Amino acid sequence: MDTKQAEIKKEYRVPEKISVLSIFWTFFRVGLFTLGGGLAMLPVMRHEIVHKQKWLDDCDFYSFVSLATAIPGAIAVNTAYLLGRRLAGKQGLAAAVLGTILPSFTVILLVVWFLSPFFKYPKVAAFLRGCAIAVAGQLAFAGLSFGKRSLGKWQQVVGFILGLTIIGVLKIHPIWGIIAVSIFGFYFFPHQES
Amino acid sequence: MKILADLVVSFMLVGIGAYGGGMATIPLIQYEIVTKRHWLNIKEMGEILAIAQMTPGPIAINSATFTGYKMGGIIGSTLATIAVILPSLLLLTFFGSLVLDRFENNPYYSRLSCSIQVGVTSLITYAVYSYGCAVIKGWFDFTIALVAFLLLVFSEKKLHPILVILICGVLGLIFY
Repeated sequence: MDTKQAEIKKEYRVPEKISVLSIFWTFFRVGLFTLGGGLAMLPVMRHEIVHKQKWLDDCDFYSFVSLATAIPGAIAVNTAYLLGRRLAGKQGLAAAVLGTILPSFTVILLVVWFLSPFFKYPKVAAFLRGCAIAVAGQLAFAGLSFGKRSLGKWQQVVGFILGLTIIGVLKIHPIWGIIAVSIFGFYFFPHQES
Repeated sequence: MKILADLVVSFMLVGIGAYGGGMATIPLIQYEIVTKRHWLNIKEMGEILAIAQMTPGPIAINSATFTGYKMGGIIGSTLATIAVILPSLLLLTFFGSLVLDRFENNPYYSRLSCSIQVGVTSLITYAVYSYGCAVIKGWFDFTIALVAFLLLVFSEKKLHPILVILICGVLGLIFY
């Protein structure tokens, strides 16, 4: 190993003991200062953990993110879980998860207590209505991006229609639609096997 | 007591089905909270989604905290918030120590993951219709949604989603 590699290794070396409190505080800051949903948290998390604290390198960070995306649930919380566990075991993951959800939990309670009485004012209601309708546009955009990524083959389009039928026509719980498409896709989609 | 148990069950279901980020949780929240349980009406759900986008944290957590508080005060909001993250924490705990480190190279896993993505595409596509029908009441509403969609398409992710929401909020403020 040449010296440069050794240096890099040294720079990103995980310290023997990262205090649980500093993990909590780092994730709390990330949670508090990122607006706009869980995905917006990831770049800030990366900045804090890889660049500022130097607890992990980029490669580790992204492998954790891709695992977090693979599991259902809020991606930011899953990433926090994996990072916290890597940094300080069980206590680390508890600190990281708590740090991530506590800001949103607190802010929502503050909104409910102090802002929601204003929601019935016509001007505020008009503003919120505009915002809520924007979410429909965001959904359409999300559908487009998902579709571009996942509907390349005709079998996948068949799976897509199957899911749409179960969710939209049968109107049973949407989870059944996802389960049915997953089983269908597992057997019938063309998969590149390595 | 019953309501607290219902909150936990509903938000655990939202947590299990939420695969692929915040947008995928919206139809699940609409189904569980608005259609099935009638805990919020569609207007309140729209408000909480708007607020969720403008406050810190994932949509799933924000809406769990809000709905939980409305139905069961502080205890309700705490339980709902824990319930929504519980499925993923359990999965990470059980798979975490066993296979997670080699998960990505597992061919069965990648097959499943690609298939789930198609299912989520169906879910979101239906959500465009069901959520759209619920909040869009006329041509002007439709125009606002279209503006949001086109801003996102043509800015190619350079425009922060919050900005899009705020622009539409201001349009609402001016024209409603």
